Amino acid sequence: MARATHTTVDHARRHLHFGWWSLLCFLILGLVLELLHAFKVGLYLDVSNATRRLMWTLAHAHGALLSLVHILYALCLRLFPSMTARDQEPISRCLLGASVLLPGGFFAGGIRFYSGDPGLGILVVPVGAALLAIAVFLVARAAASVTAATDPADSSGKH
Amino acid sequence: MMRQPRPTDPAPPRITSAGVGTAPILAILLASTALGVAAFVSFEPIVPERDIVMRPIQVESDGYVSSRTCQACHPSEYDTWYGSFHRTMTQIATPDTVRADFDGVRVENTHGQPMRLERIGDEFWAEFDDPGWEGPAAERPRITRQVVMITGSHHQNIYWYATGHDRGVNILPGVYLIEERRWASRSAIVLHPPGQSLAMLNGHWNAICIACHTTLGKTAIDTPYRSEPFEQQTINTTVAEFGIACESCHGPAEAHIEANQSPVRRYGLHLAGTGDETIVQPTRLDPQRASQVCGQCHSVWEFYDGAGERLANAAGLPFRPGDDLRDTRFVAQPSVDQASPEITALMQNDPEFVRGSFWPDGMIRVSGREYNGLLDSPCFRDATEPDRTLTCFSCHTMHKAPEDPRAIAEWAATHQVTADMNGNEACLQCHEPLRADLTAHTRHAAGSAGSSCYNCHMPYTSYGLLKTVRSHTISSPTAAETAELGRPNACNLCHLDKTLGWTADRLSEWYGTPVPELSDDRRTVAASLLWMLKGDAGLRALTAQSMGWTPAQEASGTSWMTPHLGEALGDVYAAVRFIAARSLRSLPGYANLEFDFDGPEPERIDAAVGLLREWRTAPSSRARREPELLVDENGELRIDAMRRLFDERDRRPLFLRE
Repeated sequence: MARATHTTVDHARRHLHFGWWSLLCFLILGLVLELLHAFKVGLYLDVSNATRRLMWTLAHAHGALLSLVHILYALCLRLFPSMTARDQEPISRCLLGASVLLPGGFFAGGIRFYSGDPGLGILVVPVGAALLAIAVFLVARAAASVTAATDPADSSGKH
Repeated sequence: MMRQPRPTDPAPPRITSAGVGTAPILAILLASTALGVAAFVSFEPIVPERDIVMRPIQVESDGYVSSRTCQACHPSEYDTWYGSFHRTMTQIATPDTVRADFDGVRVENTHGQPMRLERIGDEFWAEFDDPGWEGPAAERPRITRQVVMITGSHHQNIYWYATGHDRGVNILPGVYLIEERRWASRSAIVLHPPGQSLAMLNGHWNAICIACHTTLGKTAIDTPYRSEPFEQQTINTTVAEFGIACESCHGPAEAHIEANQSPVRRYGLHLAGTGDETIVQPTRLDPQRASQVCGQCHSVWEFYDGAGERLANAAGLPFRPGDDLRDTRFVAQPSVDQASPEITALMQNDPEFVRGSFWPDGMIRVSGREYNGLLDSPCFRDATEPDRTLTCFSCHTMHKAPEDPRAIAEWAATHQVTADMNGNEACLQCHEPLRADLTAHTRHAAGSAGSSCYNCHMPYTSYGLLKTVRSHTISSPTAAETAELGRPNACNLCHLDKTLGWTADRLSEWYGTPVPELSDDRRTVAASLLWMLKGDAGLRALTAQSMGWTPAQEASGTSWMTPHLGEALGDVYAAVRFIAARSLRSLPGYANLEFDFDGPEPERIDAAVGLLREWRTAPSSRARREPELLVDENGELRIDAMRRLFDERDRRPLFLRE
């Protein structure tokens, strides 16, 4: 099994921290949305606010799922330290950017909106989506390069 | 080093080459098959509109794309429209839309033998005498037809049956009254001369009603309506959408949809805050054009000539929101064009045309024609500044605002009046100087019904759908309008126990209004009683309704009303009887009055006589011993005076074209 480098450990720790704290934030957002349902708050539930409801629901869903992606990525870094060695920094930046822009854009788009169109905050969502796509591509490419030599399971089997 | 399994460890699950065992896969397949069979058995295919041959169908054409398309981008506007009675003006008859009971129901007093109704599955059927029969009445055959469409969902459900000839439909001889939860014969619910049957004409909906009860209706009868026997005509009626939908007021939306596929364009418009020229926003039009959007239906209008009618028959009405309505239609306004060639022609065709819809001075007297009232209102007619010109949208909104706390149903049931516009604010938004000391103007206590702008300047002088409606001609009350035109004035519609002379004196004293020459009766008998005893059927209906109006009851007392409303229970016009009974039920002690306005005549007379007898023995009947109320000093009704006035009644047949 390859030893995790100092940088890899730092990245893993960063994404583990970010993932869990982010998950907490978006779970709290989910709780708030449930409370808005519970108390039938018009600014969220009225048909005239359907766009806000959709945007904030998307913000919650994207935020929570991206948090899990961070945690998964951190675990991957620890399991396969060499997997993304070359692209760790850009992957990390892209993932962090996507995690801010995607849910943030959805949330901002629901604050002020134009009938069926979200507010201008929605403009950052495609940017976030592009960053996420880049990050996933880089990780996928790196995953394809994982060989038996770097696979801890195989390694442990051999020894 | 490999970990050795302990002896007590359970054996790991066996994984086949397929990944899992075959039993779960079989179970899933079996369950899926069962679900599929169940879904197939319970599936009821939706018949495409194009395949329906017995009624008018919905077809998107001419750039009309239907309200469903608007919903995605305008959810709030769609939602409020969906909850409005505009949407349900015309509906397909389904278990969800039919409000009446059809289960083995028998409706009396329809032409000939009673109508019988039956529900078969999700279909609604009616058996009744053939309205098209022209032979001896005794030999009139029965016909059984399927009910396919409905007009109205607020006060009444009017049903249309498939005639069996192309897409032609005809009206059922019975109508369902929603609030009363009962059927009534159609002739009983329309204010028209008793004894005269109401026409039931094949294709009437296709040719006439379609104009204002659908979106882009195309009659599509191959030859002019009624120019030859109905059965020999080809009828291929289509509509863009049943009911009054988005595109009735905003115009066809196809170009708007196409243009706004681009988010850049949409956000450009959002940020600029400007209107979108690919669609009509009525509130952005000038006051005249804005009001004409409503006036396309809420007016008395006619085609200029046969060519216009033929064009509409083939392609639908040519008016589009934003157009000048007068380009393609003649909007009758007898107050200014009584002698016009168009009115003259209409009168030649129908001598009662003006009287059936207007007061003698040309003010509209039937409901649903509010644009005619607006045309004669000084706030519209004489206004010079667009921002200070009365339009329909000054008081009404077609989409309830999100900040309006009312439920959509409440907003819809109160005539879609804008929040805060159901009181004096509607007028004070322009007549600001009156705000500081309103009672100096109204001469009534602040907050009272007499201090309501609406009650004095928009009294209930229009009639329709078995009720009265506020006049939409903004005017000031005068005694002359009653003395010279026969129209109830606002003062006596509330002060029902006062004479017209009393009103004339008050208006002269307070506002300097000229006092007209008044007869002795107008000086000595309460105006309301003169209307009830001498007036035509329309006037009697308005007065009977006022007697059930809470502000009038508070201003006039109620103990004296019973015999007069009781007398109206015997009116020859069923609509007057209906309203009189409803008002009676609002009086103390009469809430449970049993009276069938459409029942057999002997029963109706018995009910009226019994009511009068009971009232005369009640102490409350002696409470008001005033000659104006036709009660002498002993508390006895002045029957001789009542009879004399009754003999002077305006008995000219009246058909109000509501």
